[in-house]
Amino acid sequence: MAPSQASHTPSLATWTKSLRDQSLEASIESLIFLLKRRQVTGDECAGAIAQLLRQVVAKSKWHDVDQLLYRVQTAGARLARAAPHEPVIGNIPRPEPASSPTTSPSPARTLTSGLQVSKSMFNLLSVADPSESPVTGASTPISQAQQPFSVHALRSEVMDGIEEILDEINQADDQIASFAEIQIHPGDYVLAYQPSKTVERFLVKAASKRRFTVILASLNPPAPGEEEQPYAALRKKLNAAGVSTINLASNGLMAYIPRVNKVIFGAKAVYQNGGLLVDSGACIAAQAAHEYLKPVIALCGVYKFCPEDPSDEVSRGELGNPSSYVSYADGPELDSFEVENTTTDYIPPDLVDVYLTNLGPQTRHHLGGIYADHYKIEDIGFSLQVGE
Amino acid sequence: MSKQGGKGGAAKGRKPQKPGADEKREDVLQAVVIADSFQDRFKPFTLNTPRCLLPLVNVPVLEYTLEFLASNGVQEVFIYCGAHSESIEQFIHDSPRWSPNSSVSPFQLLEFIRVNDANSIGDFLRDLDKRGYIAGDFILVHGDLVSNINLEAALAKHRARREANRDNCMTMILRSVGDQPHRAANARGITPVFVVDPTTGRCLQYEEAHPLQKEHKIDLDPVVFTHGEFEVRCDLVDCGIDICTPEVLALWSESFDYELPRKNFLHGVLKDWELNGKMIYTEILEDGYAARASNLQMYDCISRDILERWTLPFVPDSNLKHGQSYRRIKDGSYVEDHVVIARGSKVTRSAVGRGTDIHAGSSISKSVIGRGCKIGKNVRIENSYIWDHVVIHDGATIVHSVLASNVVIGAGARVPEGSLISFGVRLDQGVQLPEHPPARLSLLTADGERAKPDTKLVGEKGDGATYEVPLSEDESSSDEDADRDPAILQTSLVYSLADLNISTSSISTLASSAFYDSDEDTSFTGGSLHADSGPGAGAQSRSRLSSFASEDGAARFRSESSFHGDAVTGLIDALRADNAEPFDSAKLEFMGLRLANNASDAAMRRAIAVAFVRRAAELLRPEHGGLEPTKAAERAFTAKKGAVKFVKEVGVAGEGEKEQVEFALALQRALVAETKEGGIVDANRAGTLLAAMLQQLYSLDVVEEEGILAWWGDKRASEGEEMVRVKEKCRVLVEWLEQASEESEEEEGGDTEESEEEEEDDD
Repeated sequence: MAPSQASHTPSLATWTKSLRDQSLEASIESLIFLLKRRQVTGDECAGAIAQLLRQVVAKSKWHDVDQLLYRVQTAGARLARAAPHEPVIGNIPRPEPASSPTTSPSPARTLTSGLQVSKSMFNLLSVADPSESPVTGASTPISQAQQPFSVHALRSEVMDGIEEILDEINQADDQIASFAEIQIHPGDYVLAYQPSKTVERFLVKAASKRRFTVILASLNPPAPGEEEQPYAALRKKLNAAGVSTINLASNGLMAYIPRVNKVIFGAKAVYQNGGLLVDSGACIAAQAAHEYLKPVIALCGVYKFCPEDPSDEVSRGELGNPSSYVSYADGPELDSFEVENTTTDYIPPDLVDVYLTNLGPQTRHHLGGIYADHYKIEDIGFSLQVGE
Repeated sequence: MSKQGGKGGAAKGRKPQKPGADEKREDVLQAVVIADSFQDRFKPFTLNTPRCLLPLVNVPVLEYTLEFLASNGVQEVFIYCGAHSESIEQFIHDSPRWSPNSSVSPFQLLEFIRVNDANSIGDFLRDLDKRGYIAGDFILVHGDLVSNINLEAALAKHRARREANRDNCMTMILRSVGDQPHRAANARGITPVFVVDPTTGRCLQYEEAHPLQKEHKIDLDPVVFTHGEFEVRCDLVDCGIDICTPEVLALWSESFDYELPRKNFLHGVLKDWELNGKMIYTEILEDGYAARASNLQMYDCISRDILERWTLPFVPDSNLKHGQSYRRIKDGSYVEDHVVIARGSKVTRSAVGRGTDIHAGSSISKSVIGRGCKIGKNVRIENSYIWDHVVIHDGATIVHSVLASNVVIGAGARVPEGSLISFGVRLDQGVQLPEHPPARLSLLTADGERAKPDTKLVGEKGDGATYEVPLSEDESSSDEDADRDPAILQTSLVYSLADLNISTSSISTLASSAFYDSDEDTSFTGGSLHADSGPGAGAQSRSRLSSFASEDGAARFRSESSFHGDAVTGLIDALRADNAEPFDSAKLEFMGLRLANNASDAAMRRAIAVAFVRRAAELLRPEHGGLEPTKAAERAFTAKKGAVKFVKEVGVAGEGEKEQVEFALALQRALVAETKEGGIVDANRAGTLLAAMLQQLYSLDVVEEEGILAWWGDKRASEGEEMVRVKEKCRVLVEWLEQASEESEEEEGGDTEESEEEEEDDD
């Protein structure tokens, strides 16, 4: 018999599986620690949070909108605080109270406007500032006066809203990819900096329609002895579609920029001012492209738009493990160097030309519209200090 | 494999259940945490607090261990605590995350096991075996582990090996730290030496080396040579993570005297491999982080690694402990909420806990400061670890020290490198703590009683006294040959060998190797390992003998491991002893060693020769009486009753001429080795001594003249310049013997040698 191959390491998959059996509190807590231990990162986060919020709505006890809002916000805030390096987390609970029970004007959300409670919702929200309420446990009664609607109806309504958000998150990549043929022209040289899943899908989609050349830039050259070239799977797919690919180490990037027609990368988050949070090194690519007047295209789902401005912590970048640059086994280096391995970069808005969202390509000047559509003013002031 | 033939419905119904249940059991990953180390390296900090609750970058060490287990999906945890078990249990119960009653605990089961009469880790594990909690593979860790390793790969490999062979019972996780000086390698004090098969990772032998030991070498077990290829690795940090099958516990139970998991258990199991057939594997990691805060130097090292983010995600701004709120600010520092850093003060590469105030003009670098500390103006803190609620008044200087909670440092006081200041100690203003040796202050004595304040040290208004380490240091200095306990290297914060007075040429640093070099059938010198003991060199020597071919003669030198050293030491001690105790007990001990190690005749002969030569050489030295060579030789052999008989029966072991030649050769080689080492001034003197010893042996009827003459003619006796020079001195003796034998032949025409020798005795 083959030895048991069951994986013990907790991951998003095991967490999702455990959702059904675990109590809500345990689910929240285990997701928090998955985030803190960086066992759930990047694009996985948004979906995980949405799933968790669905659990919050379904499992927690609440009697009115106020309590529901409070629960969602506390859970959201706890998660956001657990992983300040993933600003997207804060976005997911935000549209929740705003969009789900209300008639969202967003073109993305075609919510049924079954309950006309939007006014009272926001009134409630503005009156009962959750950060001031002394609520800590599940049993604290908050004003139970307003109950103009059935809890059951609201619950299913909100659940639908969350479903929709989940769908949006899951479909974002496909939707973005559908714009591929507009953005990529035959014969283009496209520089993809550390292609994320989104970018990969985009390129593969484009390859089915167009003949062009992809230059895959990555931070580190493949380690000697490592047979697998970086992005081997992607290259295989692209080559199968007849698109030629070139692998490039980061330091060779400048030499290729004059030849390149456009630079593409995926953003981890977009800030209100149009700045981007990206994998480290992408900023250099963007700057180089900017110098040569090559268009820089950032791919990002609308759910990655954060209604806040970057803090200086963001511009300093998230610090990773120095072991990517210095081996821990190298004693003298260890003692004589201080290695800061930034894993994220901040790209200022003026370096980005096109934001390719699931709603279509946008420029910086139109981002305001997206924010207005997706977030309420009240939500933008959403405090991460709620709870605890 | 599965037999699903045409069986009855009932059988069918039962079948799918049973394997299912088994699998479920296997899927639950169990871990055993040893939360007591039975050491006192953290004294005086551990007088009241268990080691695993000491704060490491403001988080109790045990948190790191449990989080490591949680991050690897461990579901059942058994914690063994010894000392301070109540406080550990209290800590777990109060923790919102780990408490067994908590709904959010990542573990399905967290259980404390108390053992009343446990004195070692071995007692814990034998107890665990009796309890039968362990169903399948489990992870054995210590309560002071910091690691971010994903065990998935190692677990899978372990399972595959276990499936292949039931005897593959354990996998150790080791972290390679390279062949250059490394802070983690220096800090561990004892250098573990693993002999590993590089292709399979199987561990073949385990030894420990440390800078204080007498002989800077290890002896390889000849069984090792029967493997095609092996590496001797001493560049590994042993992080104490073992993936074990339940058989490991059975092995512990079988050997009731094993105490330590490495020195006793691992060493013993590997040595007895031929008996028990159990195999132990290593998993050597080239990346990832794993280390144990097993002593203060490791504490220092791990703290720095955490601040430098090697341990990601176990870094302050991950806030893995409940209620922490660290964020990263400029200059690579981490601060919690409500920290006030006044303008004009500078905090670089440090972590500062909640509610700490730092006043103007202070500079803090590469340090960890706990919660609620008050740090005055113009204070300088470097590389130090300051726990909670410490008050440091204006102008104080603290360099590379540990200050436990509630310590008060007066204005302008100076705390130099290496100081350890335990809970609640107060230093008056302007106090300067001594630099050599660094201060170790505590309110309590080793017995846990309140110490009388030493006002000379801590000032008029101060409180606290020097904590006396209950270590019999005068004992070790009186007996210079005794192996000093390497633990004294680990009790201080700063790694230093300077104060320990280590002589690189203590008895046999080189002698043994030279000795082995010249011995034709022991060509494994390449495998013995010489760690030079300069400061910081504890672990530099890393031999990677990846192409060490197994040799034909491998089987011939059975188990040289530890036999030679132990035997020689034992014999010399017996020879030195002034009491009238007969030599028989030493002989008994020697034979015991011989049986235990299955030593060959050659090895015994060598050990005996070395012992007597060293004793004789020692007597030549002025401090031992400065005897003449003839007197020294006589004293060495005849001072103890029974020694001569011992040499005759065991050393020469046989009536034949061949054995006598071998013994003479062994003596000669031992002397040559001794000259190289500096025990005897020059080769001439050594030669004289050899002649004297041979003559003595001859007159004592141990070696016969044929033996000596045959030795004289033997090729091996004149290999190399040194050998010849030593040998030359015996010419007179040999010529005299030749003459004597001619005479006797002439006179008595082949009488027995015995009468001949009796005559010579009278001379």
